[in-house]
Amino acid sequence: MPDDALGRPYGVPARREPVLPNGVLGMLIFVATEIMFFSGLISAFVIGKSNAIGGWPPPGQPRLPVEETALNTAALLASGVALYFANRAFKKDAPSTKRLLLISIALGGFFVAFQGAEWVALIGEGLTLTSGQLGGFFYLIVGTHALHVVVGFIILLYTYRKLSHDDLDRFTFWPAQIFWYFVVGVWPILYWQVYL
Amino acid sequence: MVALAWASDLARACPSCASPLEENRQAFVDTTIFLTVVPLMMMGGFIWWLRRKIREIDEAPEIAVPETLLRDAKRFLKGR
Repeated sequence: MPDDALGRPYGVPARREPVLPNGVLGMLIFVATEIMFFSGLISAFVIGKSNAIGGWPPPGQPRLPVEETALNTAALLASGVALYFANRAFKKDAPSTKRLLLISIALGGFFVAFQGAEWVALIGEGLTLTSGQLGGFFYLIVGTHALHVVVGFIILLYTYRKLSHDDLDRFTFWPAQIFWYFVVGVWPILYWQVYL
Repeated sequence: MVALAWASDLARACPSCASPLEENRQAFVDTTIFLTVVPLMMMGGFIWWLRRKIREIDEAPEIAVPETLLRDAKRFLKGR
């Protein structure tokens, strides 16, 4: 029996679906609160930075690794792109979806590992949570984001596991994507504000 | 409400308002605007998208019919 453009068989009454699946709506509301949370952190940082006497970064404090983090930023953005293409291949080409999702997870893991190494180096140089305004803001903002990356990484691993068992549906995959796009999307703003 | 943001230094409502540093006072105004606009934009964007989506669903035919039939029906209705 031929189908129409939306894939519905002719003559069969269309079943009305909710405009947004519950999981997607829930994740969107959660991400909206997260956007406000990060907006608050960025605002506090901008005011703190503008109040610094002697310029920013404060004298005597270690410099943040701008170039190395640019590379890490590219890795995280590439992870988001890989996830986008994984979604496009979803339901059409299972092996491609799996491969792209794995690339996305690997790049996310690389970001976390790289940032961990960066933190170890900065702590070694004397930048700690209590060493001054720069350290306090840096570990608070970047640390909060890193926590989100770790959570997103676990969510992506979960979706990969479900995909491997042929048990992944769009109602699970979409919310996971929304969260990861948020994590990826907010990072360039943080990089611009904190590092540059 | 927005106008009150510029009068906040009169009320000494925050440590930044009375700051002698122009850059600091400007940062306070900028972040106030930013934190006001972001949630409004998010809610506005969502409502706009939701309205568009609902209209799209409302305009879709209740049952699936071949495109050719829909075209013929439109032509027929136009001719009436």
